[in-house]
Amino acid sequence: MRKLITLDELIGFRERVASAGGEEAETPTLVVCAGTGGQASGSNDILRIIKRQILEQNLGDKIELRITGCQGFCEMDPFILVEPQLHLYPRLKMSDVSKVIKAAIGGYVEEDLIYKEPQIGISFHSQNDIPFFKKQTRTILGNNQMLDPIRIFNYVERSGYAALEKVLSRAEPDWIIEEVKASGLRGRGGAGFPTGKKWELARASGDGQGQKYVVCNCDEGDPGAYMDRSLLEGNPHAIIEGMLIAGIAIGATQGIIYVRSEYPLAIKHTMIALRQARELGLLGEDILGTGIDFDIEIVRGAGAFVCGEETALIRSVEGFMGEPRQRPPYPIAKGIDGCPTCINNVETLANIPVIINRGAVEYAKVGTPGNTGTKIFSLVGKIRNTGLVEVPLGMSIGEVVHDIGGGPPGKARIKAVQTGGPSGGCIPAHRFDLPVDFDSLKEAGSIMGSGGMIVMDEDTCMVDVAKYFMAFLRDESCGKCFTCRKGTQRMHELLEDIAEGRGTLDHLDLLEELAVVVKDTSMCGLGQSAANPVLSTLRYFRHEYERHIIDKRCDAFVCKDLVGPPCQSACPVGTEAWRYVAYIGRGEYEEAYRVIREANPFPSVCARACDHQCEERCRAGTSGGDPIAIRALKRFVTDRIDPSTYAPVREEWKDGEPPRVAVVGAGPAGLSAAHILSLKGYRVTVYEAEPEPGGMLYCAIPEYRLPREVITKEIQSLLDDNIEVTCNASLGTDFTVDSLLEDGYSAVLLALGAHKSRPLGLENEDVEGVYPSIDFLKAFNQRGEQLAKGRVGVIGGGNSAIDAARTALRQRDVESVAILYRRTQLEMPAFDEEIEAALQEGITIETLISPTAIKTTSGLFSHLELVRNSLGAPDSSGRRRPVAIEGSEHVIELDTLIVAISEDSGVDCITPAREGGIEVTDWNTVKADPNTLVTSRPEVFAAGDVITGPNTIIDAIADGKKAAAMIDLQIRGEELVQPAKSIEPLLYVEATEVDADETLDHRIETPRASIDWRKRNFAEVEVGLSMQEARAEAGRCLRCDLEFCEKDQSEARVAGGHKK
Amino acid sequence: MINLKINGIDVAVEQGTTLLEAAEFLGLPIPTLCHMEGLTPYGACRLCVVEVGKAPASRLVTSCTYPAEEGLEIRTSSARVVRARKIIVELLLASCPQSKTIQDIAAAMDVRQQRFRQEQEDCILCGRCVRMCSEQMMAGAIGFTGRGQDRAIGTPFDAHSEVCRLCGGCIYVCPACELRCTYTDPEQAICGGCANIGPPCVEKPQFDDMMCYMQPCVACEIKED
Repeated sequence: MRKLITLDELIGFRERVASAGGEEAETPTLVVCAGTGGQASGSNDILRIIKRQILEQNLGDKIELRITGCQGFCEMDPFILVEPQLHLYPRLKMSDVSKVIKAAIGGYVEEDLIYKEPQIGISFHSQNDIPFFKKQTRTILGNNQMLDPIRIFNYVERSGYAALEKVLSRAEPDWIIEEVKASGLRGRGGAGFPTGKKWELARASGDGQGQKYVVCNCDEGDPGAYMDRSLLEGNPHAIIEGMLIAGIAIGATQGIIYVRSEYPLAIKHTMIALRQARELGLLGEDILGTGIDFDIEIVRGAGAFVCGEETALIRSVEGFMGEPRQRPPYPIAKGIDGCPTCINNVETLANIPVIINRGAVEYAKVGTPGNTGTKIFSLVGKIRNTGLVEVPLGMSIGEVVHDIGGGPPGKARIKAVQTGGPSGGCIPAHRFDLPVDFDSLKEAGSIMGSGGMIVMDEDTCMVDVAKYFMAFLRDESCGKCFTCRKGTQRMHELLEDIAEGRGTLDHLDLLEELAVVVKDTSMCGLGQSAANPVLSTLRYFRHEYERHIIDKRCDAFVCKDLVGPPCQSACPVGTEAWRYVAYIGRGEYEEAYRVIREANPFPSVCARACDHQCEERCRAGTSGGDPIAIRALKRFVTDRIDPSTYAPVREEWKDGEPPRVAVVGAGPAGLSAAHILSLKGYRVTVYEAEPEPGGMLYCAIPEYRLPREVITKEIQSLLDDNIEVTCNASLGTDFTVDSLLEDGYSAVLLALGAHKSRPLGLENEDVEGVYPSIDFLKAFNQRGEQLAKGRVGVIGGGNSAIDAARTALRQRDVESVAILYRRTQLEMPAFDEEIEAALQEGITIETLISPTAIKTTSGLFSHLELVRNSLGAPDSSGRRRPVAIEGSEHVIELDTLIVAISEDSGVDCITPAREGGIEVTDWNTVKADPNTLVTSRPEVFAAGDVITGPNTIIDAIADGKKAAAMIDLQIRGEELVQPAKSIEPLLYVEATEVDADETLDHRIETPRASIDWRKRNFAEVEVGLSMQEARAEAGRCLRCDLEFCEKDQSEARVAGGHKK
Repeated sequence: MINLKINGIDVAVEQGTTLLEAAEFLGLPIPTLCHMEGLTPYGACRLCVVEVGKAPASRLVTSCTYPAEEGLEIRTSSARVVRARKIIVELLLASCPQSKTIQDIAAAMDVRQQRFRQEQEDCILCGRCVRMCSEQMMAGAIGFTGRGQDRAIGTPFDAHSEVCRLCGGCIYVCPACELRCTYTDPEQAICGGCANIGPPCVEKPQFDDMMCYMQPCVACEIKED
């Protein structure tokens, strides 16, 4: 490269390079991202293959290759982008590359490999249409795609150094500062100080004679932030140009790029860029004959987060240990070696050429007043589209997270977003309408910081997050100020205590007090913002802290000491699943039965119909494999062992006549409560409105899932001399709350359930052919009536809908069954295995569809008017709201319509409850204290679905057991409090040795009857496991309980040894 | 002369006076630990913080390092300042309870308990010894090493110092160890001096003709065993 001597030579050079580039615009170009992230994902292999193919097949004039720095679409790495059509081929395997090259040369799209939006399945042929890119404004980051960072010609071709040209062609540099001020640019490193003002002060500082410095701060220490790395790796010349302009504006002749050692690629590319710029004559002495001197050197950090702080950075550049000092004096006045120093962030400097080229007025049009321009964020964590995004300031967090980020990758809902790294705070999901800008985030208790945005979902524990950041800050504190050094250490200690179950409410107060003082008294930004993770999580997620302290629970299942074995922790009744699985592995089936039955009065029922929350948390599953088939193993045991094996401990009431308790409702909640109360010696009368006990088990759950004999046998084993069940007796009609209490019952338990289907609220809902799902199921289960005929439509997506659909399919005169659900299949609340079984049986599921009108012909239901939906913004439940698509109205003909959208307790139950002085809600449930289950009347308790609305069997059982305990405490005159117990194994079960060759590497498949056979009858669909299968599946268990057992002095293992 | 307002009292001081000096001139008590007459102010212990400025932009700064500015308004004992100082004292007691200096400060501020996990450290990293060695004794044998939790006082690379003249100045100014070496009760020795830097008596086998200003020093006792 020949050195340019004058400004005119630069102008000419730029013109020549720009026009040369134009000739090659038609050749297809393969663009491959080879930033640090891209290389880690395997782009080097892709590049090798491309290069080899180009050489071997002489494709040099048919195709171009451009290797770029980080482009920000990191989730899709390694990808190839084909220009000029902008076809994006994501997540390529080495074997796919030749297909892409062929498609690029041939000018067509390789459909198998082109980008497809996961949830909708639509492919996007142009990068600009892909939702991730559509809403971004890639002013700065977009350039990374267009150029190879180690070729200065690429930069010049894309108007590189045009801003420098503009600056050098005008004599007095004051206008630069005015332009930057007018643009409203604020520092992108975190503090948001107006850049124009900083430059103005820097210019005025000093005596005009001495050295001044321009420093580019690339010490990006925030965990999860890599925007500056990508800029320096991908477009170092933009930074060089920005620094040149800064130097000219403030009168500095020396620039320093302070880059952390952990960025070797950025350092390499910057060194190459500097060398090229010097060769071209753009850096050095007497640049282009203007008499201006400016050169840049690189100073590498040595692994300290604190060196991102201005004054510590200066000390580090001077060669000392990075330690901040008090300000004033500010670096502008006294910086490196006492000279005025202007420190700017990488992204701030990258904005400078844009401002100079476009003009401040144009630049200020993007963003909002006071927060102009764009900002690059690193969107990481529990998000579908991980990567770097550049958006105009002022866009809402929700748009960034959902529209650009693509929302959560799985079913867990997004809970919060941490902005600003460890110095920032979390913003909860209900505040996602906040605009992303300096001021709004500050008001919400966070900061924008350098742009890290970590997305957190329900499986993230906020206490753990605060603890993690505090550990980071404690390790990175320089240690000079007592309060920062000791404060971060002590805050981490307190958080550790809380996370490990030793926390008290006093600790929370102490934590807050300490946090405030650390914030107030620390000298530098690290200490002053160290308290932010604690303060912001306390502000928005205090309930999580309180759960850890008061209830000794971590609802996100993260804090190991509070979770114990996850299967036991997840079970609402605390079944020791690990224990009975261990016994099955050892062949001790009777022991296993006792373990199951101890916690759960309905083992055979649950073995068939439970939603197995234990399996969702099984560590075999959450660590990347398959969860243990716990429910199937439970069924294996309950199928074999007679209930009489379990002999519960029975108490006799001590003083005189045992008190009597009335239980209204013989469902799982009511019967569990009755059983527990009877064991404690009470006399219990259970009133049931239906002809048979069992509640929803009998009325709603179909026979092919839960045979009638199983229910009957189970209930029989629970009933004893203390319990009397009276059927066909309804609340309000045959007795009232008052009449029960007058009758001498010491307490009343309302376990009425949620057994009334909710109506759609459309006209004609009561005509023949349209049935609420519970009525439809009851008609069949209780009376054998087969109401479904012909083409059946079921509206809803929960278990009730699937039950109705599969029951209808088995009825005599039915031709077809379709389920119509308003959201997508991923959001259906029904159990996955039920949906799977339904699809296997030939039931179709239509998603994103809602009914608008029910139409009749001659008084009979004949067709349904529908509209199609798209998913809009999330509603209060965190799920995306269905929004009707205009013009998509259509009609389908049906013979039967079953409405299964939801259930509640119905006015028939709620009215008498209300009349009995019990407070109820507007949505037909009973109000009860969540801790004591007492209603508004002190002697009346409630349990199960009547409080929560439709819920699972095991939750009802748990409520029933809890209500029994509370009733017992109340009758004995004690406080209604159950002390919190942390979940941990209370005994040690020896681990079975498993042969590595015999261990299955995947979960046993749910054994089901063949599809053709089961569609024609109501026989049980699921088949039990064989002994061999059960032993093999039990052998897969990771025995998470053993973590909590330690060897005692005699080298024998005991449980609970680990708690110190 | 620069005009300030401290606790509502107007005072005029010379250029270069710190807020601490100005407050002391007025007789207002401000607790300090790392500050010492004759040594440059360091600002490590944070005890001397005062509130400057007007709400809502007021902030706490260390008075020992902050130079007087024209028109500044300072409050030396506002609620915010007192709350901060009390927590700082609790943190000090939680780390270094045996120091009489720290105990006296705690008593003066009416702090009777500390709520953190108790540690027994013998150094609060106030830096007095470092500054004494470098500024008054012109030796510079010891300095800060490490970062954060690992921060400690030591010689470069923990090697034996060639420039230490064994003056004992470091031990003299240390607020954490108050008593002179208790040679009668070496188990109770709380002096951090021997632990922080190696006086010759601990290292060199012959120390008869060494200059030792402590007499006799617990190191002699330990060495003889």
